[in-house]
Amino acid sequence: MSLIRHLLVIAILFGASVTSDASAQGSSLARSDRASTTSSVPAEVLVVLAKEEAGKIDPQLKKLTALRRPPFNSFRSMTILSRPKLKLTPGKDALVSLPNGRRMKLTLLRVMPDGRYKVKAAINRPDKSDYLPLLQVVASAGDPFFVAGQTYQGGTLVVGVIVDPKKSAQ
Amino acid sequence: MESPKTQDQKLQMFFDGELAPEEEAAVRRDLEGSPEGAARLREWEQVRAAMKGVAAEWAGEIDSDALFARIENEIGAPVVPIERAEHGQPALHVVPGGRERRVWGGVATGFAAAAAIFLAVMAWPESQLDPSPITRGSEVLEADFGSNTGTIFEVEGGAGESLAVVWIDDEEVGLP
Repeated sequence: MSLIRHLLVIAILFGASVTSDASAQGSSLARSDRASTTSSVPAEVLVVLAKEEAGKIDPQLKKLTALRRPPFNSFRSMTILSRPKLKLTPGKDALVSLPNGRRMKLTLLRVMPDGRYKVKAAINRPDKSDYLPLLQVVASAGDPFFVAGQTYQGGTLVVGVIVDPKKSAQ
Repeated sequence: MESPKTQDQKLQMFFDGELAPEEEAAVRRDLEGSPEGAARLREWEQVRAAMKGVAAEWAGEIDSDALFARIENEIGAPVVPIERAEHGQPALHVVPGGRERRVWGGVATGFAAAAAIFLAVMAWPESQLDPSPITRGSEVLEADFGSNTGTIFEVEGGAGESLAVVWIDDEEVGLP
């Protein structure tokens, strides 16, 4: 009876290990196939007007500690002008209108093997290529990249782009 | 004159009946010639007589011919199978001996330990098995500023990650 119990335990352990192995292989496959099976990823664009004049920093920006470090630390007021959410689909352009009349075009190129997102961005006036013809960035989920420098209403536009699968697009 | 050892050997051979008749008669005369020797001779003769009596009794009790005949009969007799009783016997089964159980227990324990190690390795989080560090933050791969001038910065995020900042000099554009 003791021997039977021993053999039963061995069978259970091996069964569990085989299941775990299959699961690990499935996980690995899922990761390697992610680039080709990703349909769309939520993203958020943060359009901020930053000024050197003393003023308020929008409380929603407190979490973005990067905006308090150089080259942004010269700004003493920051106001969120818009915060559009969108879905990035591989190979398909997503457009975001900026307050200065330009448009930001975002395209998800692919998901990298390490899970980061390769994104192409451009900022121009409609049918023009007068500002930023091309920018290619890789960003991990939830970590922003910024495009700044456009002057607007006596201040500077700081545009942050965050690709985050956890955010829901509107 | 003979040495004491030779005398003892002669006496021993005398009582064992191994001396020649002339020597035996001479030894007997010597023993009977002294009171001590005569007493010694009597004691040993008594012992010898007692031993002969016992040996004769044993030989008389055991019939060796009959014993051997019986052994031969038993060896030559046909084998009679033992019939199992149909009722009244408890159910018996083979119980492994202690050594056998220890061996199987050791083998089973070894397999179980190997399986447990295998399971632990397979169930270990992938992030801990993967030697490559998790990449965080953002970085610029390519930038085309067109006719403008620009700068690419790296700014530290809240978790210490490096975040990409593209700064492009610009003159304010008028709304269309």
